[in-house]
This record gives sequence, structure tokens and C-alpha cells, in this order.
Amino acid sequence: MPILLEMKNIHKVYPNGTAANRGVDLTVHEGEIHALVGENGAGKSTLMKILFGLEAPTDGTIEYKGQTVTFDGPRDAIKQGMGMVHQHFMLAPSLTVSENIVLGDEPKKGVFSMFRDRAKEFKEVEHLISTYGLKVNMQAKVESIPVGQKQRVEILKVLYRGAKLIILDEPTAVLTPQETDELFDSIKALVSQGHTIIFITHKLREVMQISNRITVLRAGKSIATLLTQETNQEEISRLMVGRDVLFRVDKIPAEPKDVVLAVRDLGALDDKGTLALKGVSFTIRGGEVLGIAGVEGNGQTELVEVITGLRKATTGEVRYQDKDLLAASVAEIRRMKVGHVPEDRQTAGASLTSSIAENLILDHYRNPDFKWGPFINKKKVKQFAKVMMDTFDVRAQNEETMAGALSGGNLQKVVVARELSKNPLLLIASQPTRGVDIGAIEFIHREIIKRRDGGAAVMVVSAELSEVMALSDRIIVLYDGEIVALLDNTPDLTEQEIGYYMLGIKKQELEATR
Amino acid sequence: MKSSKALFLEVGGILAAVVTALICGFVVILLTSSEPFTAISALLLDPLSSTFNIGTILNKAVPLILTGLALSVVFQSGVFSMGAEGQLYIGAFVGALAAVYLPAMSPWIHFPLVIVCALLGGALFGMIPGVLKAYLNANEIVTTLMLNFVAILTTSYFVNNQLKAASGGGYAKMENISKDILLPKIFPGMAAHAGIIIAVVAVIIVYLLMYKTSIGYELRLVGKNGHFARYGGIATRKVIVVSVMISGALAGLAGIVEVLGIHGTFKENFSASLGFDGIIIALLARNHPVGVLIAALFYAYIQVGAQTMQFGSDMPREVAVIIQVMLVLLVSAQAIFTYIKQRYARSGQKAVK
Repeated sequence: MPILLEMKNIHKVYPNGTAANRGVDLTVHEGEIHALVGENGAGKSTLMKILFGLEAPTDGTIEYKGQTVTFDGPRDAIKQGMGMVHQHFMLAPSLTVSENIVLGDEPKKGVFSMFRDRAKEFKEVEHLISTYGLKVNMQAKVESIPVGQKQRVEILKVLYRGAKLIILDEPTAVLTPQETDELFDSIKALVSQGHTIIFITHKLREVMQISNRITVLRAGKSIATLLTQETNQEEISRLMVGRDVLFRVDKIPAEPKDVVLAVRDLGALDDKGTLALKGVSFTIRGGEVLGIAGVEGNGQTELVEVITGLRKATTGEVRYQDKDLLAASVAEIRRMKVGHVPEDRQTAGASLTSSIAENLILDHYRNPDFKWGPFINKKKVKQFAKVMMDTFDVRAQNEETMAGALSGGNLQKVVVARELSKNPLLLIASQPTRGVDIGAIEFIHREIIKRRDGGAAVMVVSAELSEVMALSDRIIVLYDGEIVALLDNTPDLTEQEIGYYMLGIKKQELEATR
Repeated sequence: MKSSKALFLEVGGILAAVVTALICGFVVILLTSSEPFTAISALLLDPLSSTFNIGTILNKAVPLILTGLALSVVFQSGVFSMGAEGQLYIGAFVGALAAVYLPAMSPWIHFPLVIVCALLGGALFGMIPGVLKAYLNANEIVTTLMLNFVAILTTSYFVNNQLKAASGGGYAKMENISKDILLPKIFPGMAAHAGIIIAVVAVIIVYLLMYKTSIGYELRLVGKNGHFARYGGIATRKVIVVSVMISGALAGLAGIVEVLGIHGTFKENFSASLGFDGIIIALLARNHPVGVLIAALFYAYIQVGAQTMQFGSDMPREVAVIIQVMLVLLVSAQAIFTYIKQRYARSGQKAVK
């Protein structure tokens, strides 16, 4: 196949001295699906920003269709036939699908092209939809369609602008297994029509499933480009991390003890005031991990917030050992040895403009052990922070480093360190490894299992089905604020099976979930 | 805490702003004065040429330090109070009431009592917008600005009517405060009164409070990331009220120190926007107590320089206003730029992974 794009020896040094790319070579053939993999901070994002004209490289050349090109901005890149589908959708929710697709480039008619040509717009969008088999109702408002279809709208948007080379940035992060399959069908259809795909991801299974070739980035350098047929997941992950990686979480069978948390008939409203939790009941015993699966936005956030005291319940009861958690304040609940790794570490989990030490002492700054008269004992804080950073392998200059300067993985380790430092009896971990590199994922998973084996009750909420399945002993599936399934995590339980419950296609009888 | 490099950059930025503002002042002098170099030297050198002038700088700096501290505390907790002016009046008023109307007693008891009254007056008046903000989500900028009028006009009413001194010679002020509890001069013959000692002690206390105690930790955390504070079980509403009250107490202290050190009693409209100057001081100091001390001294130096320039040359003192306004513009512009840069960096990171 002819070479479509060649990025040679790309370097990017930011003004503050960070070297994000330190010699990256990327060659993409026409008509292939090229996977770009690497840990967070490996330089994938910078490389794509450079390709798309959002950043200028410090050094290196880009050849596209055999010509050296420089892009001053995304506009130039789009004109040349590139398109990027961002991980976070950039759509106007109140407009219809077809309006979103043509937005900024609407067909015009009349004198001086003063009027929008709706008929032509519909014809062109319809043509696109049928050509590529990206099924979506073009008259529907974007806010009312599911995530998988929103993504199709994003793809149609770049196709409408004539993109031949399409960059997909972590496209499966928000999709259910079924939606992922459909996306892969669409990608194959695009390739058969002569398009070229760059697929950014960290999910190696998907890489193996869909790509033709793979380029691995590590620490700002391109480490290798491999043919997918000639490699395997182990090799790729070794190249990504620089060492061997455990894929499975090693764990012994759970030994459940007494019930630690009992939730009965719990109801709660979301921020908009609609009922987000509709009579949820379950129990967690000490020494077991209960996984909460579900497409995001089906009540998981509200469930965690109610249990941790951050949100009021409208009905039901939450008993923790012999205490009523619904009557307790956030501070009281935290003092009762309830650890909570919040889903969004950037806003709730950490203060980015505070030091690592200040983030770590959140539960301890009033503790007499950490005080010296009325003052916080700085020496003690420093000592504590150092021990925590060592134990949890937080890599930073020292404990005075700003939390905001840490990578996602290191910041999450700070959060996990803080929540585990009080030896929780109940640990609630929401999206514990979102946006975290493989090394840190391994570490955090092992810590969670260690706590389970130590007798703690653990609740894991994750949008990554593979994570829920790797960690949990039992799994409940939330759909539209209700528990639609309670499953034992046996080896013959499949992602597909859970996927049907997540999409609301299947539902267990109510009795079974109690 | 910041790395030394970041600190250096920040201090460098502020110094650049100061120098630019001074240069703007010089340009105006060069363009309008017939003896520009005399004027510039009168502006920059005369304030330091005599102990009297240095004393005046210190006196002018005292209320600025205290109001600057007041605002740096609330700003750090993420509350944009504009209420120091009003709290200053109420604090001074309550303190002066205690100074004038309490029965005779030893000054060793009377003086602390007056200070405590002023602190309480400012704190309780500050509590009003604090409670409105924390529990009813009322915008603190609006409430504090409006309460400033309430404070200024109410105290003005009383010293024009019921509390007007008979011996005031037509001025609206209270009876004179006994000399026993007025702030003495630090050195006989020098202009500086003991308020500067109170101000420096306040700087130390605020520093310790903000950076070394649990309350300071909570205060700063609420300002930096309210979500995180709430998640950590910190009673954010109470913290907001406490922060506005501490701020009010400091503003009240500024008021009473001004009354006991300069005016000798509570006079109508005596402050002339010390509370608003405090906002500029806190901005210049990036809310750090030690920075407040330095910024207030500099600000006072420019003000005294304006006076000596008016005496010693053909330039009016308003040139100092030009320098002050340039400072405000440059310093707030810097703050906005850092904010935008941070926002941009963050959103840029999110867009592509």
C-alpha cells in the first residue's frame, strides 16, 4: 500500500521545558487501520496535536501524500483531508443530527448565498449516512440520542468535510461492548471505501481485533511499529511499559464475612431533580468485592454520593455495621473508616493547586498526632507524606510538589494512598483507574484486592467492564437507576452477557436482585 | 508551597508591573512638568529623606496592611468580599464607643477592651454577608458593596446626631478619646505611632493562622477546590462564614487603629476608601501576608512621595493616582493571564489524549 502520511523525527519541547515528543516516527499507509498505543503521557496527544496543526513541532517533518506540509491550524489540516473525532464529543446538544453535521459549512442558496439550503443539506447527509452505513436519525436532536450514535454523528461530521484520514481518539472509552462492535463495523466500512484510520487507544484487545499495524509510543519516543498479525498483547504491553505486565488480577477466592454495608430500597434525585435511583437494594460483606456495572449516567454517581453522605436520599436506608449512614455527615462517615476514591479525581479527589502533602492529610489535619499545640506539625506531615509516597509509589520531586503537576496515574495513587491510609472497613472506589497508565492500574488493582483479603468490604464502580470483571466477586448491573441483574462473577460470565443488561435488553426478575 | 522557581517568576512579574507603573508615572511627569527631574526626585527620594517622612509612610501603611490582610484572608477562601470598608467603619465605631463611653478604668484593661470591641464589631458585621453567601447563595460582591453604604451612613448618622461631640466645633465626630488609651508614638519626635507594631503582629498571626493551623488549611482548601473540601467532610459553609468574620475583624482592627493612632476619635468619613485600597494591596501581594506588608509599605511610600512632590515641584499629587491605577491594571491583568493560561492548558489536555 502507498504511504499516505509520514511523520519523521518529531520533537516537541514545551516552553516550560517538558519534552513531550523526543523523536517520533509514524508512517501510515493508505487504507489501513493504524493503532497508536502508549501509556498516558507517552506523547500520543502531543503527536496528534502536531499532526492536526494545533501545535507546532520543535523539530521534524510531516509528509502527507508525498509532500512536506506545515499546518498553521486545524483548518489547514481539514482542508488537506484530515479529520479528528475527539474523545469528548464536540456537538451542540440542542441542534439536530443533520444540523450538527453541517454546522459551520452549511449548504447555501439564493442571492449571495444568503439562505440555507435545507433540501440539499438533507440530501447530502442522507447520502453520507447510506454510503457509510452509519445509521442515525438525522432529524433527531443530538441530546436525545445515545452515546454510540453521537459518536457516529462525530464521524459523519468529519466525513462531510471530506476527510480521508480520520483520527479516532479513544473512541471506545464511553461505549458498551455491543456499541463497540458496531463502531468496529463502521470503521471497517470506512476503510473499504478508501479511508485511512488512526486509532488511539490503550485497550490492547481492541487493538488486536481491529488494527492492521501498531505504533507504540513510550516516554515521547516511538518504540516500535508492528504488524498486528505478527504480535500479541503481551509483546505490545511490554513495549508500552518497558517490562512485563500482569493482565489478570491475581486473586484467591473471596472469603465473605459479616455484612458490612446493607442498602435497602434506596432512592435519590440527580442534580436536575429527576429520580436517578429507584429503589436500589444490595449488601456487601467484609472480604468481598461488589462490582457495579452500567453505562455511565444510570445512577452510579448518585449511589456513591448517597452512601458517602454527599447527596440526600429520598427513600430507603443505608446501614453500615450498626450505624445509619443516611443520618451521618460526610465528616462523620469519613471518620467511620469509609474510604472513598471519587470518580473525578481532578475536582473531587484532589486539590490541584495544593501540595501532595496537603492532599494527603485531608483526614489527619485535626488529628492530635499531627498537631503541635494549635499548629499543624510540619515535620510530622512531611514524614507521613514521605511514607505514603514510598508505599504507594508516587513519583514526584518531593511532597511539596503541586498535585496538579502529577500525571494522572501518580495523582490517582495519591488519592488511593489517602483513602487507604485509614485502613477502611468499607472502600468505595469509583472509576479507580480511569485515565491511568498500565503500571498504575496494576498497582491500584492489587491494593484493592489486598484490602479485600484483609477483610474490608469493597464496592467498585467502573465504566470499564473489564475492570469490574477483573476485580469483582459479585456484580450488579444498574440500568436507569435500577438494579437489573445480580451476577456471580464466575469464569463463564461474559462481557456480552453483562452488556445486554447494561443496555436494558435483558432484565432479571426482581426477586433475584434482592 | 511553591517551588523557588515559580516564586521567583511570580515576584518578578509583580516587580515588572511595579516598574512599568512607575515608568508610566515618569512619562506623565516628563510630558507635563517644567522641572521633571526635580519632580521625580521629590517623588522617589524625599519620602525617605527625613524621619518625619518615614514615620508618615509607616502611619499610612498601617491601615493598608490591616485591610490588605483582611482581604487576603477572604480571597484565599474564594470569597470576593468588597466589604472591608464597611467593616472598618463598624469596627472603628464600636471600638470608639467603648473608648469614649465606658466608665473610667485602668488603661491596661481599657485598651484591650476597645480593641476587642472593634474586632467583634467588624467580625459580626462581616458575618452578615458571610451567612447570606453560605446559606442563601447571595452574591457576596453585591451584598458587601451595599452593606458598605449601610455602615458608612449609619455611623455618620449617629455622629451627626445623638453622639455628636459638643466640643466638635461643627465637625461630625464623637467626644475625644482619653489620651491614656491613644496609641503613643514609637519614638518621641517621630511621626510613627505604635499601630505599626500592631500591624506587624497581625501579619505574623495571619501568616501562622493561614499556613500553620487547621482553620487555615480548611480556609485555603475551600478557596482552592470547594468540591474537594466538601468531599473531605469540611463544613464549607461554616468555613466561609468564619473566613468573612476573620476578615471583618481585621478590617475593624484597621479602623480602630486609625482612630486611636491618627484621629483621636471617630470622625465621619475618616477612612476615605482604606478598605478599597486593601483590595489592591491583597491583589499585589497575591494574598500572602508577608506580601501584604511589603505591598502596603510601597503603596504608602508612593502616597507620601506624591505629597512631597506636590510641595517640592510643580506636579500635583494626582500623579500618584496614575501610578496606583496603572498598578491595579497591570496586576489584575497578570492575574487574569495566569488564569486564562491555566484554563487553556487544562482544556487543551482534555481535548486530545
